[in-house]
Amino acid sequence: MNDLVLETEKLDKVYKLGGRKVRALSNVNLQVKRGDFISIMGPSGSGKTTLLNMLGCLDKATYGKVILDGVDVTKVPEKALYKIRRHKIGFIFQTFNLMPYLNAIENVELPMEGTKKSRDEKRKRARELLKMVGLSEREEHRPHRLSAGEQQRVAIARALANNPAIVLADELTGNLDSKTGYEIVRLLGKMNIDQGTTIVMVTHDSRMASLAGRMLFLSDGRLAAREKQGTHLLKKELTCPYCGKEVQPDDTFCPRCGKKL
Amino acid sequence: MKDLGVLTRAFRNVSRRKIRVLLVVIALGFSMAIMISIPSGIISNQKAVEGLSENYESMIEDMQEEINKTATLIECRTSSGRGMPSGMPFGAPPSGFGQEVVFVNETVVDEIRSIEGVKDVVSFIETSSEETTSETMSTPRGDFTISRPLYTITGVCLNSSFIGNYSILPTNITAGRNLVEGDSGVVLMSSNLTDYLGVEVGDKVEIYGEYFTVVGIYESTGQTLMGTRTAYMNISDAQTITSNTGNVSRLDVYAEDVSYVDGIADVIETAYSELYVTTYKDRLENLENMQEMYQTTLENAESTLSQTQTVAFQEIVIAVVATSLIVLFTMLYTVRERTKEIGILKAIGFSNWNVMSQFMLEGILISLIAGVVGIAIGIVGAPVLSSLLLPHVTLFPTQQRGIPGQTVNPGAALSQSVTITLDPQTMLLAFGVAALLGALGSLYPAWRASRTSPMEALRYE
Repeated sequence: MNDLVLETEKLDKVYKLGGRKVRALSNVNLQVKRGDFISIMGPSGSGKTTLLNMLGCLDKATYGKVILDGVDVTKVPEKALYKIRRHKIGFIFQTFNLMPYLNAIENVELPMEGTKKSRDEKRKRARELLKMVGLSEREEHRPHRLSAGEQQRVAIARALANNPAIVLADELTGNLDSKTGYEIVRLLGKMNIDQGTTIVMVTHDSRMASLAGRMLFLSDGRLAAREKQGTHLLKKELTCPYCGKEVQPDDTFCPRCGKKL
Repeated sequence: MKDLGVLTRAFRNVSRRKIRVLLVVIALGFSMAIMISIPSGIISNQKAVEGLSENYESMIEDMQEEINKTATLIECRTSSGRGMPSGMPFGAPPSGFGQEVVFVNETVVDEIRSIEGVKDVVSFIETSSEETTSETMSTPRGDFTISRPLYTITGVCLNSSFIGNYSILPTNITAGRNLVEGDSGVVLMSSNLTDYLGVEVGDKVEIYGEYFTVVGIYESTGQTLMGTRTAYMNISDAQTITSNTGNVSRLDVYAEDVSYVDGIADVIETAYSELYVTTYKDRLENLENMQEMYQTTLENAESTLSQTQTVAFQEIVIAVVATSLIVLFTMLYTVRERTKEIGILKAIGFSNWNVMSQFMLEGILISLIAGVVGIAIGIVGAPVLSSLLLPHVTLFPTQQRGIPGQTVNPGAALSQSVTITLDPQTMLLAFGVAALLGALGSLYPAWRASRTSPMEALRYE
């Protein structure tokens, strides 16, 4: 079996903006293995979101292939794309995008609409997922009664509802303070390790990006050749090699012994 | 595929924007109410016309029958009457309706009886009560207040063979008994008179200073306003109290055979110029005139009805279009407003159909709520709505004498008879129409929503 979950071949995207052609992506060749936790970094306007939309079947490539779980989605007709979005992809947004009129558990159940699962099965699955993200106590709460971090947790649970092949996260910490953002990315990492969930996370925040297993860099629509190994703090708890104290990933010096990490 | 989730979401979404939904529902409700109340207005109009035509027919039949039965009757009156076709059972024109009562001497009775071919002569005295009453009549040309005698006193020659052979007394007794030979000091009253006076059988009433006991009540025909209030009594009593001893005002002359009628009528007319004579021929002629008039009236009513139906149809079409447009614009606005939501739903795997059914359902839901409101408004406001919306054409010419009780104006008829029967069928139909219009109006917006590109939609704020 192919170990690649997602693969792009010579992906190009050209927008027409007022008669002017803008090349948002150019010759992007990306390979994501099953169980990867990848972060794609790049400044604003570098084409991160465009790439993510392309991977998430929300937008059509101008040229090139996007092979998701063995299927070239660029050849799938628009009408059938929803099945791929529903079953293969989990989306997490910067602005959480929960339905304000649904409570937490109903929001998590939403992607399961139209699947073969029964009502009870959906409820059971949603409950399981909310427990996984630590919101068992808040099942009945509507988004406006949840904190930003809690809302993003619900969104993560929602993204995982149909057990997707890949989770795509677009600036998921952009609307969170750094501590909460860290917790959220940490939660994603935990999913990655515990469940083997494949994650592609787009961000311009280098500290968050560095928490992933692999860091890719995108600028002006091109994927940089250099690639960095992320700390992926969860694979081994990040500790000070000198005194054993747990340290934050962005700490340069150990807060206890003061030695340079 | 269709699980409760969609419905729940539709409900929540609808209840999310209460004020807007309220306004839309009220507007839709009125449209629905119009749709519900107009047909019922039309139906009641139709029923009114049908009823009218039935009434006419049975009336004409009765009269025909009466004329046939009384072919040998020659009526002689001291006053011309007022064009009211005689021969109607007890429908004699109210004498003294602003008219002076003239009498002839009783000796005439014996003289007429001696004419060849005359079988019987029944004498009457018809005069007015002392009391008068003022009544206001509403007509399209304004209100008229008329003063007329409160009731008519009819003195009847209570000979048992007359009573047995000829219809000289009312027959439709509702209480007590009819007058019989030898009665004196007693009266038989029409129900509208006893109602007016507030008396019952056995009570005493004062007439021209004398007290009479009410022995019987008969059902008065025609409307209260136009129907004549009448008190029947022995002719000698009537003569006495009105100081008309020896006088009569009406003679019913019965011929031995129909073949004598013309001859007798000629003799009477020649000999007594003060008497107005009518025979079955005159009555038949009258009847024909009346039939013609009824026919015209009915035709008018029918053409008015079809006119009304055309207007009603147009109004229903307008209401249907308005309802659909209201749903259309509301849903278009809603879809536009929720573009981002559509983007999210599509991004997490909603199919075009999922999105479309979501918005269709919301449109239908709003329409159904409006349907309930519409039925409510319809129940309360149907008479007002239909009289407002249906043309006010006078179905039946008012001021037409000779059609007692038919001076009905359609507005009045409508407002009296329009009630919406809340049978399940009507409800179901109203809901069906509501759902259909909801679906129709939200079809395009929902389709547009389903076609929204998720990427574009997600960018929309």
